[in-house]
Amino acid sequence: MTRISETQFTRSLIEHTANNKARVDKYSEQVATGIKAALPSDSTDAGVIARYKQQLDRIDGYMTTISRVKSYVQFQDDALNQMDELILRAKEIASQGANESLTPSARAFLAEEVFQIRDQVVGLGNSSYQGRFVYGGADDDDAPFDATVYDEPATGPASVKYEFDAELGTSQLRPVHITDDITVNINTPGADVFGTTIEALERLGRSLGGYATEPASGAPDGSGAAYTFPTDYTKQTADIKYTIDLLNRARDEDILPERTMLGGKMRRLETAEALLNLSKTSAQEVLSKIQNADETESVANLTQAQTALQASYSVTAKALRLTIMDYI
Amino acid sequence: MPNYTSKILGNSVSALTAQQALIANTSNNIANVNTPGYTRREIALLNRVDATSIHSNFTFGSGVEVGTIRRITSSFLESAVRDAASRQGMANIANDYLGRIESMFSLTGPQQTIGSTLNDFFSAVNTVAVNPSSIDDRLVLLQRGEDLVNAIQTTYNTIARTQTELDYQVPQEIAQINEYTKQIASLNDLIQRRKGSNIPAIDEEDQRNALLAKLAEKITYSSYEMENGMMNVSLANGFPLVAGTTSRSLDYTYTPSFGGATLPPSLEGRTLGYIVYNFGSEGSPSHLDLTKTIKGGMGSLGGILQLRGYADATNTSAFEADGELVAIATRIEALTRSLLTEVNEAYLGPDEDTATAGLQSSAGDLAGNPPDVFGLFDFDYSGVKDSDGDGVPSAADLLASGMSHFSSYLRFAVTDPQRFAAARDNDTTEGAVAFPSGDGQNAAAIGALKQEVRTFTSAGFSLTGTFDELYSSTVNFVGATKSKAETDVAVAKAAQVSAQSKRDELSAVSLDEEFANLIKYQKAFQASARIIKTASEILDQLVALI
Repeated sequence: MTRISETQFTRSLIEHTANNKARVDKYSEQVATGIKAALPSDSTDAGVIARYKQQLDRIDGYMTTISRVKSYVQFQDDALNQMDELILRAKEIASQGANESLTPSARAFLAEEVFQIRDQVVGLGNSSYQGRFVYGGADDDDAPFDATVYDEPATGPASVKYEFDAELGTSQLRPVHITDDITVNINTPGADVFGTTIEALERLGRSLGGYATEPASGAPDGSGAAYTFPTDYTKQTADIKYTIDLLNRARDEDILPERTMLGGKMRRLETAEALLNLSKTSAQEVLSKIQNADETESVANLTQAQTALQASYSVTAKALRLTIMDYI
Repeated sequence: MPNYTSKILGNSVSALTAQQALIANTSNNIANVNTPGYTRREIALLNRVDATSIHSNFTFGSGVEVGTIRRITSSFLESAVRDAASRQGMANIANDYLGRIESMFSLTGPQQTIGSTLNDFFSAVNTVAVNPSSIDDRLVLLQRGEDLVNAIQTTYNTIARTQTELDYQVPQEIAQINEYTKQIASLNDLIQRRKGSNIPAIDEEDQRNALLAKLAEKITYSSYEMENGMMNVSLANGFPLVAGTTSRSLDYTYTPSFGGATLPPSLEGRTLGYIVYNFGSEGSPSHLDLTKTIKGGMGSLGGILQLRGYADATNTSAFEADGELVAIATRIEALTRSLLTEVNEAYLGPDEDTATAGLQSSAGDLAGNPPDVFGLFDFDYSGVKDSDGDGVPSAADLLASGMSHFSSYLRFAVTDPQRFAAARDNDTTEGAVAFPSGDGQNAAAIGALKQEVRTFTSAGFSLTGTFDELYSSTVNFVGATKSKAETDVAVAKAAQVSAQSKRDELSAVSLDEEFANLIKYQKAFQASARIIKTASEILDQLVALI
């Protein structure tokens, strides 16, 4: 026959009640937080959870980078969009100016608008994003297009010559990791994008304004004297026509490929973003499976634990009241 | 004619005395119903032998005699209770202290763990790589660097502090153990003398039992009761703590006679104490190291020592000691050392000028200045940090500093946002450097380190993997260790409940039983009194005949 002593009896009642209370505590915490593995010892997959969390953090980091790069690329695309219109307008003026029915003075009237267009293009080339020059390569605290002078004329817009900054780093590409394995160059050196256009516009403006630009082809060296009319009228026409070729070349070889490339970059960024989103979702799913509490299960467990606790309270209260003294 | 009346009276009086003794014992049992460790007692009654036979053919007996008083106990059950208490004492220590450490590796919540700050730091480095000239992004990087260093320091310091706290607890435990063994020895003396004079020593035995139970909560020992009633207590290696009436006091020392001039440092850079017995004198001690033996056992002291770790006196590094705390701290220290050496080295970039001796950094900040040798992560040390002067932060430089650990002294070296060297030299000419402000090559190289596989080493620990893998393996280790401690607590608790239950089943007081006995004894007392009354009536009638 089992002998049950007083301490044994009360201890076991207290133990059972305490155990049930601990279970209620555990499950109510799970229900309240929705998490079953809050500390490493809560799960045998603690290391896996930590890895997934790090992966998610890394994905978030790349997502932030991608959104920044996207807005940077979008900014460049907007700039080039304007270029298209400006080149088109410059070509119209050049065609008009190349017409030999115009007198030199009529041509000179057209020069003014050409220089305005040039200044706008230079403005685009020197555009800055968040205070940093977009087309300056790695040397982004310095405007990439600097103004120097032509020998002639001494004043006026025709005297200004814009040159791409030759400092170190201006032609450097800036690669950025957008995922663990994919990098994207977020910039193009300004000379490659705007160089030819600016040269063409300067040559056009100067020709219309009555000044030759030397050498006749290739990069201007800053020299070029005023035309002597009527002797140089044909040369002026030829110079103007040359700028049409130059503008076409700038559009076909610089602007269009650059826009195509930006479009490609944007697609790569979006693909990378979509892929990251996919891996984020799958990582979150796995993480949720191993770290989050199954709500239905937790609530069911909680209810069960509560019922058990109520039962042990009721049993304890009844059992403790029983004593032989009431019967003797 | 035989005198039956006096016989009747004699028997009844003996019965009255016996029943009273029984009731007195019952009252004592009831009084001690809630006394922890109390062993219920039973009085053995003996029928008195009839020495002078009244009748030649048969004897009536001479009533009842109160025999010995006996403790209802089983040494097997008592030792099972002690073992369980020992196991529980150990498990509780590990569980309590590891719980504190575990919260530093939380898997949720806003708390900044090493894992989350490591990610944030490398993310911030990558952001600077995208936009190197942005002061805002650089300020964020500085903050993230500080966060990472803080997380490492806090985590390491918590672990190291815990080790120290555990070390501080040892002398208190030893003082209690010494007190217990001293009392056991003096109780041994009393019990021996009482038993020698044939006097039962029940209360003393109860007290000694309670002391043995308390001692078991502290350490694992083996006990042996000798024929004279004395209890010998010895450690697992046979070292006697109590031998008969003498006890041996343990000492706790930070200057053991078996140690060299310098003892190995603890995680905090102090030293860990040794539990010893001094065979020599106070002036010239001759210490016997008992730390390992006690650490091999259970009880709270066993638990404390196992968690704290044991450093062999010949060790040189804090990380050569065993124990879970040291194992966790070793991993963090490995991370710190990797930041100080490999990450700092990567931060300096490739050698810009191979013609000049030593490494000439090819990295540059916004002003074009190269970083210092420990330019990204630094440590507080007043001496020369790059002791070999080669410009490369290496493990040998760390070793030469003579510091026991670096995690507590780690510092994020960049305090001025301009000073973070995000750029690499753009000038291909050796000896000439140029750093465009928008160059983020160096930052990108640092950012890429996070996914790079490297070997993390610190004392006996080595792991080949990425920073992420080092952290997640640490989380796994902490989780598994804590989880084992929790299981140990649950198992120990179950064992303790079961052992205590078995012991109480036999030895504790049951009120039902005592009350039933009380009624039984009362009835017997009433019956004996009634017999005295009957005898008195017989005498009255005999007297009336006269």
